[in-house]
Amino acid sequence: MDFAIFLVQLLNGLQYGLLLFLIASGLTLVFGVMGILNLAHGSMYMVGAYLAWYFTLHTDSFLLGALLSAVIALALGIVIEKTLICRLYKRNHLDQVLLTIGMIFVFNALQSLLWGNDSLGVDVPELLSGSIQLTELVAYPVYRLFVAVLCLVLAAGLYLLINRTRLGMLIRAGESNREMVECLGIDINRLYTIVFGAGVMLAALAGVISAPIASIVPGMGEHVLITCFVVVVIGGMGSIKGAFVAALMVGIVDTFASVLFPAVSSMVVYILMAVILLIKPQGLFSN
Amino acid sequence: MTPLLTVRGLHTYYGESHILHGVDFTLEAGQAMSLMGRNGMGKTTTLKSVLGLVAPRGGDVRFNGTDLSGLPTWKRMRQGIAYVPEGRGMFHNLSVKEHLQLAAREGVNGQQSWHYDRVLETFPRLAERLTNLGTQLSGGEQQMLAIGRALLTNPELLILDEATEGLAPLIRKEIWDVIAHIKDSGMSTLIVDKNIQVLKNLCDRHVVLVKGEVVFDGNTTDLLDNIDTVETHLSV
Ligand SMILES: Nc1ncnc2c1ncn2[C@@H]1O[C@H](COP(=O)(O)OP(=O)(O)OP(=O)(O)O)[C@@H](O)[C@H]1O
Ligand SMILES: [Mg+2]
Repeated sequence: MDFAIFLVQLLNGLQYGLLLFLIASGLTLVFGVMGILNLAHGSMYMVGAYLAWYFTLHTDSFLLGALLSAVIALALGIVIEKTLICRLYKRNHLDQVLLTIGMIFVFNALQSLLWGNDSLGVDVPELLSGSIQLTELVAYPVYRLFVAVLCLVLAAGLYLLINRTRLGMLIRAGESNREMVECLGIDINRLYTIVFGAGVMLAALAGVISAPIASIVPGMGEHVLITCFVVVVIGGMGSIKGAFVAALMVGIVDTFASVLFPAVSSMVVYILMAVILLIKPQGLFSN
Repeated sequence: MTPLLTVRGLHTYYGESHILHGVDFTLEAGQAMSLMGRNGMGKTTTLKSVLGLVAPRGGDVRFNGTDLSGLPTWKRMRQGIAYVPEGRGMFHNLSVKEHLQLAAREGVNGQQSWHYDRVLETFPRLAERLTNLGTQLSGGEQQMLAIGRALLTNPELLILDEATEGLAPLIRKEIWDVIAHIKDSGMSTLIVDKNIQVLKNLCDRHVVLVKGEVVFDGNTTDLLDNIDTVETHLSV
């Protein structure tokens, strides 16, 4: 592999990893703070991509479509928490699995009803449609760099939110000792609504920004869900820092595996997960 | 005048085991009340039933005349109750400063006599450890943080569960001195502990639990008159 191709694959891996982080952060946050394993989290990614397609088509602007999709996803997350997820807090894990799997079926049926089962696509917005010349022979699309930078900015924002704000303090306190938070006179259910809504919005946002570079197809949510589970398990369930490190690892390993060992590439991230769990059974950054 | 806290006929279960068998007591505003009993007699369960952390199957709890039954824990605390739990309830991922910042708020009538600086004056050791995580503190410091955090909610009633358990004698004394100071400032307190020698001087009212039932309820004079019986209820 010459250096230019290596660089392109490295950038692809980083960009894919950062996108995975955006999705996995919500999954791990909801698990860490609320103790809920949301199997329908991947469906939120799918919803984001379809919403972006729909609104871009109808507003003629990807930016406007993206903003509308994000706002709708946030509202959807809040409604889902307040009507469905809130019933799970006092129940067992089986009920969590049943409800959230049920939600996957519902979202898939809605997708099929509303938007059909054809593969859809969104154009790369004009402003970001060019390429940057890496070497004389190799160019890299600006939009992919934009995706990476946007994900980095969002990750930094999430870091600051969790470590520097009152809401972040509350999120950490809720992870550590839910009962004690309530004993300070704080309504923990409001925190749950906010965290779940934000998690859904981040997953949908990932769907939105990948719409121009991925094909929008039925089942895209389940595929990404499984990869995000790998990320969350490698990073340590509930750890945002772990999700960040693991997402980059998975992104880079998966990208290089599909170039170097195309025949077995789909297995490689699972092998990575198995090896890490053998060394650290709780994941890289578990509490 | 309505009592500050009225507990009537509490029956609490864990699964099928019946732990509290009709616990009754009242606490007047400004009083300090002790709740004593050997290990496993139901002291913590009584507190948890009052705070809504476990759901009693029978009985009721009133605070300042308001029926607390059916209210979630956080709303009960908002009526003016603060809790220092057994085990201290530290947040492992919050610094000392963040513990205090998170808790700070006005009391029910807007009173703010406890504020950040006053807590640090009361517990100068905490001031030296502001950036440490809650779980990096010594047991005594954790206890001070738990008390400081509770005071910052500016409660009318401070509930302490085994605040001096497992601490060295000097630290114990420091904590008892602070509790006495809090009491003298007029705040009501409900203190669970096994140390009758300290409690008989500190508290005005005393309640003793044996197997989830109140076997003694009286003021300090009553306690001293019956000290032998009470001590048999407390000795192992
Ligand atoms: N979560 C629980 N599930 C089942 N049983 C419990 C639970 N918590 C306490 N118990 C039981 O309830 C009884 C009362 O416990 P509780 O913690 O109220 O006692 P306590 O008076 O506070 O004791 P200690 O002095 O040891 O703190 C004990 O027999 C205990 O084993
Ligand atoms: Mg106890």
